[in-house]
Amino acid sequence: MPTVSAAPRRSETHLELHLRPSLFIPELRTRKKSSVLEEMVAHLAEHRIARQAQAVLEVLRQREALGSTGLGKGIAVPHARSTMVTERAVLLARSTKGVEFDSIDGNPVHLCFLIVAPPVDRDPIYLQMLAEIVKAVRLAPVRKKILEAADFASIRSLIGAQLA
Amino acid sequence: MNTKLQALVALQDLDLMIREAKDPEQATREEELGFPLSGVDKLERTRDRLAKQIDEQLLQRYERMSRRFTRVVVPVEGRVCLGCFMGLPTATRRNIDPGTVEHCENCGRILYRL
Repeated sequence: MPTVSAAPRRSETHLELHLRPSLFIPELRTRKKSSVLEEMVAHLAEHRIARQAQAVLEVLRQREALGSTGLGKGIAVPHARSTMVTERAVLLARSTKGVEFDSIDGNPVHLCFLIVAPPVDRDPIYLQMLAEIVKAVRLAPVRKKILEAADFASIRSLIGAQLA
Repeated sequence: MNTKLQALVALQDLDLMIREAKDPEQATREEELGFPLSGVDKLERTRDRLAKQIDEQLLQRYERMSRRFTRVVVPVEGRVCLGCFMGLPTATRRNIDPGTVEHCENCGRILYRL
């Protein structure tokens, strides 16, 4: 009897492992950078990832002062490490109307990936996830599909396919 | 968390960000990915302003310890310092005064309670 060899299963990337349905805001309520960061940090605090929302918000604002994390093409990846973060996490938020984010190209942001992490000595995964996000959303059709996806599972699959 | 600790936490987070932005390897990687890091001077000015708000003795202790440890302000979980992972004496836990800043007797790090 011939044996059927199963295709080797791809191991998931750090980004995929960190994407969680509970850390997804399908549609942001606010449209300004400052209030969007507040909205996202409040979500992290609800899920006990931010111990003190104000401290985490402040460090994200300082990170934006260092240089805008609005990458252009409707994407922003605000990221920072804070003493008041309990674990490394990625929060994905969408905005159909768009958010004013001081992006490099001046265009509004529709997909916002917020990365937070505690301040451990060396954390290569943190930087790897930044790179994975940039890679996952580099194509316009993918960005459009993520923005229009009906549920979080579809978004996760789309991102996974880009990183495969 | 008392205001002294809040200021120290903010200072520690800012110091880490400045350190990483000045780290050639990390900065290059971030810039390659499309994240400009042009505001280091601005962060350093914010850092100076924040440091002036912190009690001088406490700030000196923080500065001295930050030469040894990446994280000087660390949480206590149960009765364990999460900087050195050593247990704290029971008395330390009993004598918590909300207005004071506690230190780990083993490593000297500044502690905050979860």
